[in-house]
Amino acid sequence: MKGVDARLFSAISAAKLLKLTIKALGGGGTAAPGLLAEYIDPSALRKLAKYYQGSVIVTGTNGKTTTSRLLGNILSVGKISFIHNRAGSNLLRGLVGTLIDNFTFTQKDKNLALLEVDEATLPAATSATNPKIIIFNNLFRDQLDRYGEVDKIRSIWQKAILHLDSSTALVLNSDDHSVAHLASSSRSRAIYFGIEDKNLSLGQLPHASDFTSCIACEGELRFDEVYLSHLGKYRCASCGLVRPKPDVAAEQIFLQEEKGFMAKIRTPKGLLELKVGLPGLYNVYNALAAVSAALALGIGLPVIKKGVEGSLAAFGRTEKISLEDNKNLFIALVKNPAGFNEILRTLFSKKEQKWVLIAINDLIADGRDVSWLWDVDFEVLAGKTKKLWISGIRAADMALRIKYSGINLDTAVEENIEAAIEKAIEKMPVGETLYVLPTYTVMLALKKILAAKGASEQFWED
Amino acid sequence: MSSKQQTANSKNSFKLVLGWLYPRQMSTYGDRGNVLTIWQRCRWRGIEVEVKEIDLKEKINPAEIDFYFFGGGQDQAQKIVSSDLQRYKKDDLRKAARLGAVFFAICGGYQLLGHYYRPALGDELTGLGLLDVVTVAGNQRMIGNIVVELNEKLKLNKENLLVGFENHSGRTYIGKRAAALGKVVVGYGNNGEDRTEGAYQGNVFGCYLHGPILPKNPNFTDFLIEKALFRRFGKIQLTKLDNDLEDKAHEVAIERARESR
Repeated sequence: MKGVDARLFSAISAAKLLKLTIKALGGGGTAAPGLLAEYIDPSALRKLAKYYQGSVIVTGTNGKTTTSRLLGNILSVGKISFIHNRAGSNLLRGLVGTLIDNFTFTQKDKNLALLEVDEATLPAATSATNPKIIIFNNLFRDQLDRYGEVDKIRSIWQKAILHLDSSTALVLNSDDHSVAHLASSSRSRAIYFGIEDKNLSLGQLPHASDFTSCIACEGELRFDEVYLSHLGKYRCASCGLVRPKPDVAAEQIFLQEEKGFMAKIRTPKGLLELKVGLPGLYNVYNALAAVSAALALGIGLPVIKKGVEGSLAAFGRTEKISLEDNKNLFIALVKNPAGFNEILRTLFSKKEQKWVLIAINDLIADGRDVSWLWDVDFEVLAGKTKKLWISGIRAADMALRIKYSGINLDTAVEENIEAAIEKAIEKMPVGETLYVLPTYTVMLALKKILAAKGASEQFWED
Repeated sequence: MSSKQQTANSKNSFKLVLGWLYPRQMSTYGDRGNVLTIWQRCRWRGIEVEVKEIDLKEKINPAEIDFYFFGGGQDQAQKIVSSDLQRYKKDDLRKAARLGAVFFAICGGYQLLGHYYRPALGDELTGLGLLDVVTVAGNQRMIGNIVVELNEKLKLNKENLLVGFENHSGRTYIGKRAAALGKVVVGYGNNGEDRTEGAYQGNVFGCYLHGPILPKNPNFTDFLIEKALFRRFGKIQLTKLDNDLEDKAHEVAIERARESR
């Protein structure tokens, strides 16, 4: 292709060659090619982005992968050609790698780049890729060992969008005080999404709430409704700051436990009724984010509806897998208190007792600090489990958390994940489902274990 | 209570009043696990615990509370709390310390028990001065698993290692009137320079260990509980509890610290 400069050319070639070599040697997806390209040409991302038709960036603590998939599905249905990065490749090197993978020296049409971007990588991705849309889903405490503090992430986001103009639309969660007001420091357009269904209000702030004081004046926030962690309808009593009214609002939501949800959504283009196979209130937020972004791209409601309703969960993000003996696995990734609380709320809101396996690792991708387990409200498990298996490198910490919750559960600790899953499935009667709640690296291990068992591979592509 | 040496069990009516300072502003990183641990380890022994949450703008009755817990918080929260302490609580908390109440603080709370926290930019945050320590902002965040050997002057007979997870950029330096809580075996500690971690002065204790610290260090927890009961009930021999799970988590944390550094 014309105009590829020499340095970028060698960066692309070297990365592609390295990728082929790794593949030939039997290796899987790695960050190495992107890292190499970045090393050869530090402005690789900026230069590569010129060969794409701008980007749509998805960031936030929770829901990046699911929101990207939902939006990707809408784009596919709408026949808009796009490329996207794999779940987990959301650091700079992953973005560079993705843009190189989809780059051919002979390409004619420019694709849209749909990029799931790590919270701390947002500034670099924003300045390099000419974003049409940036989705800010939410901001929770997560992997504080990596970033230090949640306040810090918020302030780097604020700086990253300072110089954007109205050619970029910010899709903001109006219920999350920490992202809703980002637009005030930018000239970009803002589109707000949120929940307006009082029936789902929790009544009071749960302990794992991160932003309880006003970002403008530091006064204490009042919540008329709380939907999830610190997400809700808030106002500041001292300075009068209020939640922006959402442009895209879920007004009637019916949560159907692990099956999914139905919602009536008010949009500027009219009413949208959705039936989605992704469970939990957090997935309502993900769907709202994807719908808002699609509307901002000028996509019509029928296409949006078809795209969202046809979406499957990504691996490990709440899906059911069938095993032998009519036994099932339900896997839901857990990575921070807000997400874990929502999964507990989704799975254990009914009286019925479940077979459960919680597995906690403390590798870098899981977060090395396991303190966060103590911010999760495990007390809701009281009387809701038939048996609780506890596994992973930090099984002892998890078991201790349950011990001090004061609830009496039949628990068993087995550090080794493979052994734990074997035993848990074996001890469970035919026809039952094991609910597995793993951290990230346990989930990757599970994927391998299940593939070796020949379990269905329909979810594996990313 | 006539006799000095007593055993805590359900027959005696021992009671501990725990003051939890700023549970909304100062409780990141699972610090509430510490409150839960104090509460459960007392309850399992038949000691009644009353937890009083102490919020912004509230005053304290220094005669009432035996044990103050003060967790960590983020920059913005710490600023709000620092001025609230000066305005509403400073004198009463100092009085409480003189009356022998136990203070235990983590990270941001620890910094505010000292004289001041000096950020890189902006105004100094004034602390309570219950601990002779000062903290200045550093430019490197000290993050990771940490193992500390307890100061032998504290005379904890069994376990002498503390395990946890540190995550701070403030560098704390100990003055003459306070002593180090312990010596760093693995990790950064107070400032990454002098190998000390935490500080204590009389019944006032502070350190950087999240994890949370108390569930995984049960002997240290019991040591604090005994101290807190002392001012009302004198010396009490706490009944033994089954610590298998606590000890296991303690060992795993040491292993992880050794492997990951």
